[in-house]
Amino acid sequence: MPLVDADVHNAFADARAELRPFLPRLWQEFADRHGIAVPPAGYVSPVGVQREDARPPSGGLAGSDPDHLTRDHLDRYGIDYAILTGSHILGVSTHFDPDWGSALATAYNMNLAGRWLDRSPRLRGSIVINHSDPEAAAREIARCAPDRRFVQVLMGAGSNRLFGQRFYHPIYEAASAHGLPVAIHPGTEGAGNADTPTPAGRPTRYLEWHNIVPTNAMAHVNSLVCEGVFEKFPRLRFVAIECGIAWLPHLMWRMDKNYRGLRSQVPWLRRLPSEYIREHVRLTTQPTEEPENPAHLLQIFEMIGAPQMILFSSDYPHWNFDNPRVALAALPSEWKERIFWRNAAELYGLSLPTSGR
Amino acid sequence: MKRHPVARAGEITPGGRKIVSAGSVEIGLFNVGGEVRAYRNSCPHQGGPVCLGRISGTSMPSRVYEYIYGMEGRILRCPWHGWEFDLATGGHVVDPDVRLKGVPVETAGLERLPLEQRDGVVYVLLPG
Repeated sequence: MPLVDADVHNAFADARAELRPFLPRLWQEFADRHGIAVPPAGYVSPVGVQREDARPPSGGLAGSDPDHLTRDHLDRYGIDYAILTGSHILGVSTHFDPDWGSALATAYNMNLAGRWLDRSPRLRGSIVINHSDPEAAAREIARCAPDRRFVQVLMGAGSNRLFGQRFYHPIYEAASAHGLPVAIHPGTEGAGNADTPTPAGRPTRYLEWHNIVPTNAMAHVNSLVCEGVFEKFPRLRFVAIECGIAWLPHLMWRMDKNYRGLRSQVPWLRRLPSEYIREHVRLTTQPTEEPENPAHLLQIFEMIGAPQMILFSSDYPHWNFDNPRVALAALPSEWKERIFWRNAAELYGLSLPTSGR
Repeated sequence: MKRHPVARAGEITPGGRKIVSAGSVEIGLFNVGGEVRAYRNSCPHQGGPVCLGRISGTSMPSRVYEYIYGMEGRILRCPWHGWEFDLATGGHVVDPDVRLKGVPVETAGLERLPLEQRDGVVYVLLPG
């Protein structure tokens, strides 16, 4: 069976050396004096984020060597395509200075094309944008989109506004115009100018923070539907990477129930909220929920009622990696085909030997 | 069907209503564009007293961030959960297949005058 991994984290071997050539002179000077770091969320994993066993032979950060990543992950598991989602970069949207964030995003994408996408045709890129300046983000999307190796737009899920709001619509307009999905990835909640990871405040530790980041995705999906983003941009697809899945039936049911009584506030919606979610939202699997009874996860998938919504992801080389040979073993074979490659092939326009594309 | 006299036509003013009982059945009478409409006072959703809800218009289908107010005086919103019903048809605005339970009405008197000027009796028709 073909295999597409929708969340693979390439990392910098040396962020300043890699990005500096692509920064305007002013920001080169800034980087030379102050470094490149994006604002941290501040939560520290006791096992680290990068897998110890995934370090390249050079001893650098896991995921920082394209050839090693290709051998260690793609070759080992027979992965046809990996969608690269970056490391230590999504915080560009949380800098207090949006121009610095946008300059870093552009430099990252330029470096990604040369250092990664040129290296292997199995690697596909995400256009990292700074969502705190949507006009600049739209320009960056337009700049990168002609290179079809970029298959989606990617932004950190931490923000100080909900993603459905009109402030962000230039991003969706640009992505739609170029036929690119827009993805979010957690990790920047509470960083820099992003609001606290929960509306009730900051979790105490990494474990607690990691447990609760899906609520942020719920908030964004809710906002995107209610603000009419999928009516305004009917071609748009939105991917919530690494945000979990099991919460979705609850959100769909609650939104539909409220819509039946309160639709007068959102007259631009013409269908039940869950119908927009099924058509426009995609979720990645890792970290797969592992209920005591594996059949319960299958029931959740059935409740969502949409096998086309879910994409396999491993999160290589992060600590909570899902092994494609072990994860989701209980799924029926037709769902496996959709989840392990066909959905991603359709979403990202990937040619696979048996996909007929 | 049995005819129950339940109101004088002039009591049901435009945008107003009258709640009546016929036998053991509670019914809401509404004046919709000069015609009497009668519905059982029980919401098809959870049995709430739908006929006691607010009568209003609503926001019509529109483009994103556009607000078009319409159906003024034709929307009845159940006080439980806020479901909107079109008083002209009894249909739920979200799902027109979900309907208020209509009750047939007969208005005696001068049919060509506006309802509130008529002196006739409003009858509802119920089985039995």
